[in-house]
Amino acid sequence: MNSATATIFRPPTLSILPPNSYNLTPPRIQYKPNQSNPRTISTRSLQISHRKHITPPHPPEHSTTTLTVAEKLQILDTEFKSLPEPIDRVKRLLHYASLLPEFDESGRVESDRVTGCTAQVWLEVTFDVEGSMRFRVDSDSEITKGFCYCLIWLLDGAAAGDVLEIRVDDLGEMNVGILPIRASSRVNTWHNVLISMQRRTKALIMEAYGDPSLPLLP
Amino acid sequence: MMTMEGVVLKLPSFTQLMNPNHFTNRTSLNFRFTFPKYSSSSTASLSVPAAAPVSLGHSTRPDFEILHQKVNNGSKLVYLDNAATSQKPSAVIDAVNNYYRSYNSNVHRGIHFLSARATDEYEMARRKVAAFINASESSEIVFTRNATEAINLVAYSWGMSNLKPKDEIVLTIAEHHSAIVPWQLLSEKTGAVLKFVSLTEDEVPDTKMLQELVSKKTKLVVVHHVSNMLASVLPINEIVQWAHDVGAKVLVDACQSVPHMVVDVQNLGVDFLVASSHKMCGPTGVGFLYGKSELLAAMPPFLGGGEMISDVFLDHSTYADPPSRFEAGTPAIGEAIGLGAAIDYLSEIGMQKIHDYEVDLANYLYESLGTVPGVRIYGPAPSATVHRAALCSFNVEGLHPTDIATFLDQQHGVAIRSGHHCAQPLHRYLGINASARASLYFYNTKEDVDDFVRGLVDTVDFFNSFK
Repeated sequence: MNSATATIFRPPTLSILPPNSYNLTPPRIQYKPNQSNPRTISTRSLQISHRKHITPPHPPEHSTTTLTVAEKLQILDTEFKSLPEPIDRVKRLLHYASLLPEFDESGRVESDRVTGCTAQVWLEVTFDVEGSMRFRVDSDSEITKGFCYCLIWLLDGAAAGDVLEIRVDDLGEMNVGILPIRASSRVNTWHNVLISMQRRTKALIMEAYGDPSLPLLP
Repeated sequence: MMTMEGVVLKLPSFTQLMNPNHFTNRTSLNFRFTFPKYSSSSTASLSVPAAAPVSLGHSTRPDFEILHQKVNNGSKLVYLDNAATSQKPSAVIDAVNNYYRSYNSNVHRGIHFLSARATDEYEMARRKVAAFINASESSEIVFTRNATEAINLVAYSWGMSNLKPKDEIVLTIAEHHSAIVPWQLLSEKTGAVLKFVSLTEDEVPDTKMLQELVSKKTKLVVVHHVSNMLASVLPINEIVQWAHDVGAKVLVDACQSVPHMVVDVQNLGVDFLVASSHKMCGPTGVGFLYGKSELLAAMPPFLGGGEMISDVFLDHSTYADPPSRFEAGTPAIGEAIGLGAAIDYLSEIGMQKIHDYEVDLANYLYESLGTVPGVRIYGPAPSATVHRAALCSFNVEGLHPTDIATFLDQQHGVAIRSGHHCAQPLHRYLGINASARASLYFYNTKEDVDDFVRGLVDTVDFFNSFK
């Protein structure tokens, strides 16, 4: 795995709890509220106190923790493994869904739609001047949005090479069910989203450089 | 409004074709209801009246071992995805097992004992299919990989040699993708034009519009018998009459009718009819095409290879008669034999009995599901004259069907389908991208419906609590 860093976070800005917190609670992806996204700090934040819901994540005071994609991958894997009950995974995913900024209706354009999914997914892929890939995604399914949030957290701001290196198998635990998903199917919407992220990343690099090998190098 | 067809037709006299000893090895279907373990004590047993009627669902469930399991977090499995595929009774599993254990061999040209037996059983399966749908002769049955391949066979073989530019094919927007896409491909090759029938306000295909669309330009009408999403039933007899009046042929996608009701191809008068084994208690990997013998005889081969030839020379070949002409290569022998066993099983119960039970179950499902707040069920409302198939496609306001299906599965062990059910044009017409679908079979019970609805209410409450 390449060790490209994701230092140029765009909203949502993410980090994790400091390592010593792991002694108390399982590792949990944390979210720094984005003031430009009222949905994440107003009504949606109410769900955090729901009796069935997960412990609310504490907004980190210093959210500049820099993680490699490989480290994030490990955190995601641990995150899902720490939730053996499907209902807890669904709750966690719904929480993440609430943190994902929605597209405006005008942003849900057909050209950005990820086809082949049981739910509708729209994916926006750009390439910034720092050489990092930027992703935005939205869906009409809340569970799918939860998965997409994880993908965004993992890959937004990463180097193109890191994006292309991720394999579905690396995220085998990222599933509602307790059985790891080992085969791609129409149901596994996030598989399609990941593949679309990679395909469009490659296309953008090709368009910009003509030769994908240069910017893909770590 | 349409009514169920073919329900009072005579049952196929398939039993005359079968070895009279065949059933003696099978468990009787009568009263095989086994009480739950907790009710096996004498006290508990008293709570069940001796004369309590046992539904078809209860009496057949013991034949389906797969249904008696817990899934995910220990929930009892409630399998309601039968329109996608049915479960297989032990009689079918045993038949396939027996084939591989006892007489696995290639068919038709082996001179040895095993090949002769495999050939006998394979051809017996063809005769069982023919009798089941009341075909005139078994050579009118072509085994295919599935119904999709059967449709493609007609498209490429009959279509390529009978259609020319501006000829018209009439279909409904409610067709399964496998009954749309082959004709789109054919249209690109031949210049034939596809004409689509939309729905009425009652959300059934508009048969009046279909009648008006059928003209002298029409060469083929392709329709489903029972809709896999709307649960509606088309009046095939009338459609065949309209088509034949202008010299057009009719192909019926009977994947959702053959497993659930008496289907008599001679009574319906159809030219082609397709169905799949796996939706009617048989194995996957085999389906069939029924074609009138004079049509099949005039059709060129679809795929080339062994089995389908008469003589092969280096520069040309001559082809076998139907059905072999259309069965290139080694067929799915064990699967076809399994399909034959499935037909034995269904016929022993009786297709009329299955249909009657499912009509009752369909009404119960529709009424129960309709009580869930915010639910929208697609297709016609049931009435004295409108009998829906035992399935409901639906949406719940504000929830994505895939989220519903995921939670029902993980938290309640209820298996339903979500998505477009291979009917995207229909979904688009209804203004939706996806729907959830609960589809029943004769081994389902009203308790299954209750479990599903209870689970759905909990699912809706769960997601709404996050809003």
